[in-house]
Amino acid sequence: MANSVILAQLKREQILELLKEGKRLDGRGLEDQRPLSIDVGVIPKANGSARVRLGDTEIVTGVKIQPDKPFPDLGDKGILICTAEILPLADPNAEPGPPSEEVIELARVVDRGIRETEMLDLHQLVLIENKSVIGIFIDSSITDAGGNLFDACSYASVAALLSCTVPKYEIKDEAPVLVEGVTSKPPIKTIPVSVTMARIGDHIIVDPSSYEEACMDSRLTITTNTEGNICAIQKGGIDGFTLEQVIRCSEIALSVGTKIRKQLEKLM
Amino acid sequence: MMETKRRYVIPGDVITTGPFRPEQNVYQEGDRIISTSVGISEIFDNAVRVIPLTGIYMPKTNDLIIGKVIGHSSLSWEFDINSCFVGFLPAQDVFGRDYSPTKDELKERLDKGDLVAARVANFDRSRDPLLTVQDRDLGKIESGELIEISPSKVPRLIGKRGSMIQTIEMATKAMITIGQNGWIVVSSEDPDGLLKAIEAIRMVDAQAHMPNLTERVKSMLGVELGDNNDTINE
Amino acid sequence: MTQLMNENGIRCDGRRVDQLRNISIKVGVLKNADGSAYIEFGKNKILAGVFGPRDVHPKHMANQDSGILRCRYHMSPFSVTERKNPAPSRREIEISKVIKEALLPAVILKDFPRTVVDVFIEVLQADGGTRCAALDAASIALADAGIPMRDLVSACAAGKVADQIVLDINNEEDQEGQADMPIAYMPNLGKITLMQLDGILSPSEYQKCVQTGINGCKLVYEMQRKALMDKYFTNETQ
Repeated sequence: MANSVILAQLKREQILELLKEGKRLDGRGLEDQRPLSIDVGVIPKANGSARVRLGDTEIVTGVKIQPDKPFPDLGDKGILICTAEILPLADPNAEPGPPSEEVIELARVVDRGIRETEMLDLHQLVLIENKSVIGIFIDSSITDAGGNLFDACSYASVAALLSCTVPKYEIKDEAPVLVEGVTSKPPIKTIPVSVTMARIGDHIIVDPSSYEEACMDSRLTITTNTEGNICAIQKGGIDGFTLEQVIRCSEIALSVGTKIRKQLEKLM
Repeated sequence: MMETKRRYVIPGDVITTGPFRPEQNVYQEGDRIISTSVGISEIFDNAVRVIPLTGIYMPKTNDLIIGKVIGHSSLSWEFDINSCFVGFLPAQDVFGRDYSPTKDELKERLDKGDLVAARVANFDRSRDPLLTVQDRDLGKIESGELIEISPSKVPRLIGKRGSMIQTIEMATKAMITIGQNGWIVVSSEDPDGLLKAIEAIRMVDAQAHMPNLTERVKSMLGVELGDNNDTINE
Repeated sequence: MTQLMNENGIRCDGRRVDQLRNISIKVGVLKNADGSAYIEFGKNKILAGVFGPRDVHPKHMANQDSGILRCRYHMSPFSVTERKNPAPSRREIEISKVIKEALLPAVILKDFPRTVVDVFIEVLQADGGTRCAALDAASIALADAGIPMRDLVSACAAGKVADQIVLDINNEEDQEGQADMPIAYMPNLGKITLMQLDGILSPSEYQKCVQTGINGCKLVYEMQRKALMDKYFTNETQ
């Protein structure tokens, strides 16, 4: 049975009252994330995997690596594909069926966070240029939808990639053949960290929980890299942000991002 | 006084055999009386029942519940009562028998999203439960936070003779209305008191089946541990 | 080709013919689901979540006299050796059906007319015998959700490997062995609620196989029982 949950009917005014005093319903400060735990190697059969729990949200991500054909025009790069699925057991309102626009957006935002930061050097994942490359599939299964799926999914995907092992292939008769027992570390160039913030009234809060998402005005997800650059952004929600707010958000994303990056670096 | 025999059971456990009356959450197979739930079995007075430790709210006549308005016709309001059944409050319960209100008049009294403290007037499985607000302390709830706990934990939250809920109310200065359906409304003028009350309720929900819960709740609230220990085991 | 059994009757993963793989079960692992369980059965890792009884959508599927049971068995793309497309396959659809029909005899839904109990199973890592492990988790998730049940459902597969009847087929044995028979059983009522067979068995082998499977189910039942007891009755003695 679900633990005690403050239902989405919560009056916004009451949440705003608490926010004026710098408080949130679960006792956090405005820029505090919920407790975050990251475990890697949870699916030994996959090439890489991670389970992340961020507050009430839980995600299991697996990395599968296998030879593939390159995209046309991109014959000198390996393939990277991110998908996500909100499992029906994760949320009473989830329905099995083709992915919703919400989860498609989620997968594409996580994908861009990894791709735009150039986390992986895809040039190092070529077997035969223009013909055969290494394909990396990062699939996230959301097992408990408890708010801020963007960050949890991103941390799980990045952690699974950081800790994965890449099989070795040699070319025989123009085709890739697996070399058993030989693996290498993935070609990591930088570590992307996503930080999602919600605006409720004039207040910016980090890592919104489900009920905060239910009454937020707008949302901003910002992904930064190890070098301190801002590489991917997604604004969501029905309202907007002022210029000052988006700048403030970028500062928060950099400082919170640095903290999370320390946790992720240990996984390499 | 007949002793009550108690045991922890899971579905499929044979509680006893012989000429006993099967009551709640058990069934009879031949002469075996078997539990259908995870809970505590009781044999008393030639009857056998199981008190479940989990499960959704099943309405019972006379239960005090918190409901949320989800719609209305010109004859009644419909309520979400945290069950697979929808609660109905007839318009005449509020307006009286002689008055035929319009749909708009109903909407003005109670609109979608409004919380109400009500009693289950009648429930049998063939129809949805009928509600009433015709008692003192029943009716629309003007302010407060709605919190959901597992309905099976409600007795623990109340405590023996109300001791647990009184402890929480006094320590936090919050007013707490408990619905048997697991919905609780907490209101307080003091935001800190509100947060503490919510935390205490969450603790009970998470730890209801563990011993020494009262001490832990009191300790969290900063209350002195007196010798008034409530040791109800449900 | 793996050697499935050596001269001493030891199987390719070191087990004897009547030995189960290692099993560990946790109950109540998800916050949103009404009931849930996570099982590791050998290298299988499977999560089950239950919602209900709850409103049925679409409404025309509702039964006026009783609640209905819906079941979805699904494998995550990373759960198998060759990455699997996330869309449900015909195999997953068939398994969803047999799992539902294995649970139906156990659940009591007549008290919840016009509602549905949804059972969702996700295989996070697969290694032979997933439908049995899935059932073992689903059955506890139902009890965790408070769905009234006549009995738990315990499942295990038996089969024929290297001409011998063995308990609990693993992945290699499934692919290269001679027969695979998944069985689900209600232990207190003595009723078999799932049974399938791939392979060739003589009549006497068949009987031995069923009996072996049932014995396996009884062993699994003890673990399911312990998992429920651990969650609900910790720190208390009978």
